[in-house]
Amino acid sequence: MTLSLTDPAWYPIASSDDLPFRHVYQGQLLGRELAVWRADDGNVNVWENRCLHRGVRLSIGVNEGAELKCQYHGWRYANRSAGCTYIPAHPADAPARRIENRTYPAHEAFGLVWSAATSDRAFAPFPGAETADDWFALRPMPVNAAPEAVIAALGRLAPDDQPAQILPGLAIRLGTTLYFVQPVDAGRAVIRGLLPGQPDDASLALRHHNEALTKLRDRLERAAVRQPAPAPLQPAFDKVSAELSTMPDIAIPRGTTMPVVVKRKWTSADGVVGFELADRDGRHLPTFQPGAHIDVHLPNGLIRQYSITNGPGDLLSYVIAVKQESASKGGSQILVDTVREGDVLAISEPRNNFPLRRDAIRTVLIAGGIGITPLLSMARFLDKSDLNYELHYFTRAGEQVAFRSELEALHGKVVLHTGLPRSEIGSTIATALGPWSFAQHVYVCGPSAMLESVRATAAAQNWPDASIHFEYFKNDKPIDDTSSFDVELARSAMTLHVPAGKTILEVMREAGLTVPSSCEQGACGTCLTGVLEGECDHQDVYLNDSEKRANTAMMTCVSRAKSARLVLDI
Amino acid sequence: MTITLHDFELSGNCYKLRLLMSILKLRYDIVPVDFYPGRQHKSDAFLRLNPFGQLPVLQDDELTLSDSGAILAYLATRYDPTGLWFPTDPAILAQVLRWHAVADDITATSSAARLALGFFYDVDLPKAQAGAHAIFRLMDEHLWFGEREGRDWLCTPAHPTTADIACFPYVMLSEEGGIGRQDYPALRRWTDRVRRVPGFVVMSGIFPAGKALQQA
Ligand code: FES
Repeated sequence: MTLSLTDPAWYPIASSDDLPFRHVYQGQLLGRELAVWRADDGNVNVWENRCLHRGVRLSIGVNEGAELKCQYHGWRYANRSAGCTYIPAHPADAPARRIENRTYPAHEAFGLVWSAATSDRAFAPFPGAETADDWFALRPMPVNAAPEAVIAALGRLAPDDQPAQILPGLAIRLGTTLYFVQPVDAGRAVIRGLLPGQPDDASLALRHHNEALTKLRDRLERAAVRQPAPAPLQPAFDKVSAELSTMPDIAIPRGTTMPVVVKRKWTSADGVVGFELADRDGRHLPTFQPGAHIDVHLPNGLIRQYSITNGPGDLLSYVIAVKQESASKGGSQILVDTVREGDVLAISEPRNNFPLRRDAIRTVLIAGGIGITPLLSMARFLDKSDLNYELHYFTRAGEQVAFRSELEALHGKVVLHTGLPRSEIGSTIATALGPWSFAQHVYVCGPSAMLESVRATAAAQNWPDASIHFEYFKNDKPIDDTSSFDVELARSAMTLHVPAGKTILEVMREAGLTVPSSCEQGACGTCLTGVLEGECDHQDVYLNDSEKRANTAMMTCVSRAKSARLVLDI
Repeated sequence: MTITLHDFELSGNCYKLRLLMSILKLRYDIVPVDFYPGRQHKSDAFLRLNPFGQLPVLQDDELTLSDSGAILAYLATRYDPTGLWFPTDPAILAQVLRWHAVADDITATSSAARLALGFFYDVDLPKAQAGAHAIFRLMDEHLWFGEREGRDWLCTPAHPTTADIACFPYVMLSEEGGIGRQDYPALRRWTDRVRRVPGFVVMSGIFPAGKALQQA
């Protein structure tokens, strides 16, 4: 038998004991190096052992319990999906959504962790697995010899009157003991033994088998050095496509939708309804970054954005929350009134207009009311990574505090400000912020008045624009659409006239262009477009003042031109 | 007391002392020695300090000491009021010294391979690498059975000793000598534990481990 790189068989690659929490185990199967780690939720991840950034081994990375962090450059990958959640050098600190490390199938059973080179075959227990309900794993024995030679030598250990029973997948049964040979590479293997049931004296059994296997190993290795060494297996790795590995634009065009089922609907606080959305087949959902939201397609045809409240690597469902009184506008009310558990909704992939930096010395999170949702997610990420943060949560009354138990589970500083008189809110924010110093960032989400108040207070305390982060889901400003002007679309080689009363977006659509948009009120950033020439008349609430002054990008859904002509990068 | 360490930043043997002094919260001054490429440790001035021509050298007031293992023992005996890092119980002391000797073997193999690959030293590389693998196999087995028996460290006490510090750096730096640690899972878990000791400091190539899971 020769080893094949595409062998779909499952082999044990580690003992369960090899994977304590917060450790990254280094393994190898058929020439492919593996980083194997157990997340705090118990899930075992089997990944290709290299960071997509520079190929640094992930087995020297940091297991933070829900994300694995590359030790050298700080890229992070999420439990379950292996999706990249953080690129430190990126201006928005956010990766493209689909940068994912290569993963291999994983299954934990019989005290061993199993994997395969491909996902072609489902895991199946070895023949005879049912003879015991409890298996005892021996100390693994790495051997520098060809896997085939190792299995043959194990077979020769059997006494003449009790021949060994060869099982599929480089496994063999000697009496009641099972041995699996993990094909590490053409010239390397690990012997993993299993005993049915618990031995009377575990320590004695382990020592006894360890001694026998050590002798076998020494014999095999002495023989192996006399042979020419087999050429190592040469697995080929697909490169991450250039499109995915280059830094994404700040606004990520809207992707396709996916169906999710409402797993749970509950009242999280007075006037706040929580929804838990899961994949219909129980698979994990796409990776998201802290601060990200999803578009929810409502039964009445409207699309609304809701922030994901989940913590890192928590991908088996998304939890969002809806404020009941945003009711009247016909948006969220329908979620609250008509959507029930078991219903299926269409949602977009997560998008992030509110990226969280994870290189700050101090992070202040300020939430007003339902604005807690993105900040809860941010707090959970910072918490898991042991970073310094404070979360200030303003509500009118104690009953309005949503996600109370989730907030109590955090280790950072969480301050609830309930029922403060309007006059005190400003000074409370000022104290919470303090004067700015290097690498301090504030993130705020809440009603417009609160956003404005935080922006003004922070600016007064010398916080630079770049350190103040906020996300609007709503643009309350009146839009002036009385101007008329021409837009030249540089990449589409078209010049269009925008009359009063029509948006740039509408005119472009009429001309047959497909342009992404979502809120169409200058709040979400989906329609962000580069500006090459001309002067913008910004009317959105998405860009901050310095971004507006830079005049290099605009929201085509509401913003217009002050000049007669605008050249857009589209 | 005024402690001065004659130090080379990239030397694992010097790092052992920085590590213990950090754990014991000792203040000390550093005199950098240009080991590579300057070969200052063979200069007349240095040889007057340590005729063996080896780093590290530690001065504590009037006292001049050399050999990292000996200095670890000195520092722990003198400055660790808990007595945990260099225990006096004869049986345990013997264990600690046994592992100090292993640490020297690790230096002669793993560190030598690193000097060959990283510092262009004339060393029999395959021999050094094979020697390191032989020691790592023994350590992995010792640590693996230790985990079964409830022992997390090289010696029997329920806390680390200078033995762990002495053996740690060149195990961690073995990759720089082309010696992988994939076959030694228990050894790799032990390095996580050492890197979580309160007071742990980094050196180039040795990072802290992630925080251990807080068991409720
Ligand atoms: S579509 Fe949301 S900002 Fe334009």
